[in-house]
Amino acid sequence: MVSLIRRTVSRGFLALMILIALLPILWTILGSFKKLKDIVTPVPTLIFTPTLENFTTILQNPSIRDGLGNSVVIVGVSVLLGALFGIPAAYSLARHVERKKDDLQFFVLSLRFMPPVAIAIPFIIIYLDSGIYDTLAGLILVYLISTISTVIWLSVPAFERVPREIEEAAAMEGCSQAEIFIKFALPIAAPSLFGSLVFTFVLVWNELLLALTLAAENATLPVVAASITSLGKEVPWGVINASTVILVLPPLVFIGLLMGFINRMVATGRK
Amino acid sequence: MANIKCTRIRKSYGGHTVISDLNLDISDHEFVVFLGPSGCGKSTMLRMIAGLEEISDGTVSIGGRDVTHLPPGERGVAMVFQSYALYPHMSVYDNIAFGLRRQKVPAEEIRRRVDQVSNLLGLGQLLERKPKNLSGGQQQRVAMARAMIKTPKLFLFDEPLSNLDAKLREKLRTEIRRMHLELKTTTIFVTHDQLEAMTIADRIVLMRAGAIEQQGTPSEIFDRPATRFVADFIGSPAMNFRECSVHVEGDRAELVSGSIRLKVPAKDYRDLVSGARVEVGLRPSKMDIAAEGDVNIISGTVVLIENMGSEGQVIVDVDGREMSFVTKAFRTIEAGQRINFSIDPDNIHIFSRDDGRSLLHAAA
Ligand SMILES: Nc1ncnc2c1ncn2[C@@H]1O[C@H](COP(=O)(O)OP(=O)(O)OP(=O)(O)O)[C@@H](O)[C@H]1O
Ligand SMILES: [Mg+2]
Repeated sequence: MVSLIRRTVSRGFLALMILIALLPILWTILGSFKKLKDIVTPVPTLIFTPTLENFTTILQNPSIRDGLGNSVVIVGVSVLLGALFGIPAAYSLARHVERKKDDLQFFVLSLRFMPPVAIAIPFIIIYLDSGIYDTLAGLILVYLISTISTVIWLSVPAFERVPREIEEAAAMEGCSQAEIFIKFALPIAAPSLFGSLVFTFVLVWNELLLALTLAAENATLPVVAASITSLGKEVPWGVINASTVILVLPPLVFIGLLMGFINRMVATGRK
Repeated sequence: MANIKCTRIRKSYGGHTVISDLNLDISDHEFVVFLGPSGCGKSTMLRMIAGLEEISDGTVSIGGRDVTHLPPGERGVAMVFQSYALYPHMSVYDNIAFGLRRQKVPAEEIRRRVDQVSNLLGLGQLLERKPKNLSGGQQQRVAMARAMIKTPKLFLFDEPLSNLDAKLREKLRTEIRRMHLELKTTTIFVTHDQLEAMTIADRIVLMRAGAIEQQGTPSEIFDRPATRFVADFIGSPAMNFRECSVHVEGDRAELVSGSIRLKVPAKDYRDLVSGARVEVGLRPSKMDIAAEGDVNIISGTVVLIENMGSEGQVIVDVDGREMSFVTKAFRTIEAGQRINFSIDPDNIHIFSRDDGRSLLHAAA
C-alpha cells in the first residue's frame, strides 16, 4: 500500500517535471497553429480553431525557404566533412597515439573555448579580401573548425571503449589496419559515434553569430528566424512560432533517420 | 611441422625490461603451459609469439620460419583471449566464419567446416545468436571454434578459463585436453592456476619475473622442484618450509630444527656439510600419520582439521610454528591431541638459503 502511494507520487512528480520541461515547446507548437487574435488574449486559450496560415506564410516567404535550404546545405556538408576527417582522426588518437595524447586532445577541445566573436571579426576581413564573404563555402569552412573538433573530441572515448582484444583478434585473422577500422572499430563504436554526430549537428544548426557576421544574402535559418521578429510593427507571433517549429524539425528528423540507420546496422551486423 | 623456437627474447617497455634473454623450444604437437604468478610476463611472451607485441630483441621462429617481424595474420597462429574477444556485431556463425571468408574460401566449404567445428563444440543450436546472448561457457566455445576453424599451426590460449566458474572450468579443461589429443596442434596455454597447469600440460614452463624458473613435465615440477620458489608455487596445500641446521655423520645427514630431526642420505645432495644452514621443504600431501617403524617422525599438537572430502588437512603446532599434512584418516583426529606424523626421505626437499636452488643433485 505504502509502496503504491510512493510509486504514484513519484510517477506524478516525474510527469510534472517532464511537463514543465516540455511546456515552452508545446506552447510554441500550439501557438504556431493559432491566429494572432487567439495568441494575444489576456487569458491564454486552449480551445481555438487551428489554422495553417502561419506555416503557409512562412513557407511562402522566400527568405525562410532560402534560409532553410542554406542551413541544410551548410550544416549537412560541414557535419559530413567533420565526420569524414574527425572520425578517423579520433580513431588514430584513441589507438595509436601514446605520447602527447592528452595535450592533443586538449588542443582540439580548446578550439571550442574560443568565443565566436573573437574569430568573427578577423574572419570578416579575411573573407572579404579572399572573396568568400557571404558564400556557402565560406560558412562551411568556418563551421568545419567546430564540427571537426567536436567530432574528434566526442569520438575518442567512443573508440577507446572498443575492446582492444577484439581488434587484436581481427589482426590475428590477417586484417589490415584499415580493415580493422572499417569492419570492427567503426561498427562497434557506431552507437556512440552517432551521439557525437547528432551533438555536432545541433551545435552548428543553432549557430547564430558567425552566420550573422559572415553572410548577408546567404543567411541560414536561425538568422532569418531571428530577423522575422522585426518584420512589421505588429509582432507576428504565430509566424514566429511556426518558424521555430520549422527550425527544430530538421534536427529531430535527422536524429530519427540516423537512429534508424544505426539500429539497422547493429541489428544485421554483417559486413 | 610446427615447432617453436624462441631465442634470446627480450622485451622492454620504455626503459623497463619485463623479459630478458629468454630461450624456449617447443616441439611439434606439444601442449605447453606457461605458469607463474601475476605479472611475471606470461601474456607478454604469448603475445610476442602471436605477433601482437613487438619483440625488443631476439627471434621467434614457427615451424622453422623466422616470424619475428611478420604481422600476426601471417604466422599461422590462432589465439583464444581471456575476454574471448568475440565480434559483438556479428552472429556466432559469422564470428566463426570470418577468417575463412577473408581467405576467400568457397561458401560451401565454409558452411561444411563451420558445421563441423560447431558440432564438435556443441554450438549447433547457437549459430544465429549474437555473442551477448550467450553464457560465458558458450562464448568461450565460440572463441575456440573461431580459433580452430583456421586449422592453425599453433594454438595460443591466454587464461581462457579464468572467467568461468570452477565446475565449467574443469569441464572445458578436459575438453581442451581431449581436443588436443585429437588435433595434435602445438599449443601454448597461459594460466596462473597451478592445478589447471598440472592437469592439462605435457610440459610446464614456470616463469618468474620475466625468466623461466623451471620447465618440465608436471610430475618433474611437482616431485623435483628446482628452486624453493617452484616448490612453494606448485602444490596445494602449500609446502611447509623450515630452516634447519645440518649434521653429517658418515653417509647420513641429519636436518635439525627444534624438535624436528630428519635423516636423509647425504650423497644425494650437494653442499651438505655439518654446520650449514638450509631450507627444508615438506609437502603436506607426502606426509601421513606415523606408522610403526617410520624414521622421520615429527610430533606436535593438532590445532585444526580441514575436511577436504576424502582427505583432511591437519594443521599441527610444532615447536610453536604451524605445519600441515594431509591424511585420509583425519576423522580419528581431534584438535588439541598430540600427534606423530612422518615423511619419507625421498620426499624431503632441501634448498640453499642463498639462492633458493635445490641441493638435490638431479634437480640442479
Ligand atoms: N603496455 C605495457 N607497458 C608497460 N608495462 C607493461 C605493459 N604491458 C605489460 N607490462 C608489464 O609487463 C609485466 C608482465 O606483464 P604480463 O601481462 O605479461 O603478465 P602476466 O604474467 O600475463 O600476468 P597475469 O597473470 O596477471 O596476466 C608486468 O609487470 C606488467 O606490468
Ligand atoms: Mg596475463
